[in-house]
Amino acid sequence: MNEERYILFGQYLENELSAEEKTNFEKQLSEDQEFASAFETFKDLNLHLENKFGNATELNAFKKNLKSISKEHFKSKKPKVVALKPWQYAIAASVAILVGLFVFQNINPSFEDYDNPEIATFTERGNVKENLKLAQDAFNAKNYKAAIPHFEAVLKEDKSPEIQYFYAVSLLEENQFQKAEANLLELKSGTSIYKNKATWYLALSKLKQKDYKSCKEILLTIPDDFEDYDQVQELLNELD
Amino acid sequence: MTNSKIHPDQIYIDGLANNDSAIIQSIYKKFVPKVVHYIRNNSGDEDKAQDVVQEIMILLFNQAKAKKLQLTCPFDAYFFLLCKRKWLNEIKKSSNKGVTIDEDMPSINEPTEEMVTETEVFDEKQKLFDLMFLKLGDKCQELLKLSFTIKSMEEVAEKLNVTYGYVRKKKSLCVGQLTQWIQETNRFKSLKIT
Repeated sequence: MNEERYILFGQYLENELSAEEKTNFEKQLSEDQEFASAFETFKDLNLHLENKFGNATELNAFKKNLKSISKEHFKSKKPKVVALKPWQYAIAASVAILVGLFVFQNINPSFEDYDNPEIATFTERGNVKENLKLAQDAFNAKNYKAAIPHFEAVLKEDKSPEIQYFYAVSLLEENQFQKAEANLLELKSGTSIYKNKATWYLALSKLKQKDYKSCKEILLTIPDDFEDYDQVQELLNELD
Repeated sequence: MTNSKIHPDQIYIDGLANNDSAIIQSIYKKFVPKVVHYIRNNSGDEDKAQDVVQEIMILLFNQAKAKKLQLTCPFDAYFFLLCKRKWLNEIKKSSNKGVTIDEDMPSINEPTEEMVTETEVFDEKQKLFDLMFLKLGDKCQELLKLSFTIKSMEEVAEKLNVTYGYVRKKKSLCVGQLTQWIQETNRFKSLKIT
């Protein structure tokens, strides 16, 4: 990697160059197309990261608001199909209450409602290892049973939070709770970017075992800047 | 592009960027029913439509926040076409199911197509950047996350227990690593960013 070049890019953006260095830099930008295109990308990335992390709180607030407006919109639209006569209202209302009671008493949230494994994309990395590719394909095809031994082979050689996370999800899908939770707990106590995701799946593991109390306790430990926090909230609401 | 006139419907874009509930509600009222109707008639249902609409709204929010969204065509056509194309892509992805697509839509005029393409390129680019970010080592990820969340580099240095100079240099190098990967990616070339 051309380290000096990137350090120079950073200095230029932060306005840390002397007048002369600046002139030279701009001259190179106008003459060297490859240099200019790298700088464009560098600048673009800075903007992207600024937007991504700088606006994370606002984005979350927007998502929450959007979700509730959307819910409201789609709910209020449905019932206006037929105009009922007054006596029909009475019947409809009592049926609705009965159905409501039935639904709310008997249905607990289920693992399947919340289980949305993301697509694994390890092999966009340069060094495609065979096991990694096999694990990825099996995982994305939801063939978790087949993915597990491949993940184990990869982890033996090169343990990374990413692989460990996908491995744990596969174990959970196959109801190997103990092993899955051991891996998720390890990720939860680490500092990788899979920390929150692992905590979320740990809660889902409890949910799958119908241990609602532990599920809730774990959910409450997830910070609200977690990318799928709306799911966390939804599940918390359902558990209440 | 900056020369083209900004359409008065830009208020919807600004409203999204400001998380303005009244504007969001009016988008739902005025423009969403058409999308729902289309998706329902093309192998989807109301739930699917709800998801597509939300995803497009989030995309517009992000693009507006990045100050890269200046509407030069009516919001109605732009929004509808974005949702429609997103939905068609989704069906394509799972197209082993029998799918009926009603393609009798009136053809859309050029400025709208252009705007839609711009937004789709923005979307692709964001996804690529995010994907590459996840390839970085934990140290780089943490440092970038902190330095773009906390604006003061001194504070970042203190938090990470390193020197100010190190943070400055490392930040450039981490973004440099991303730059390099992105330039190497063929996908990026096909996007014609510059």
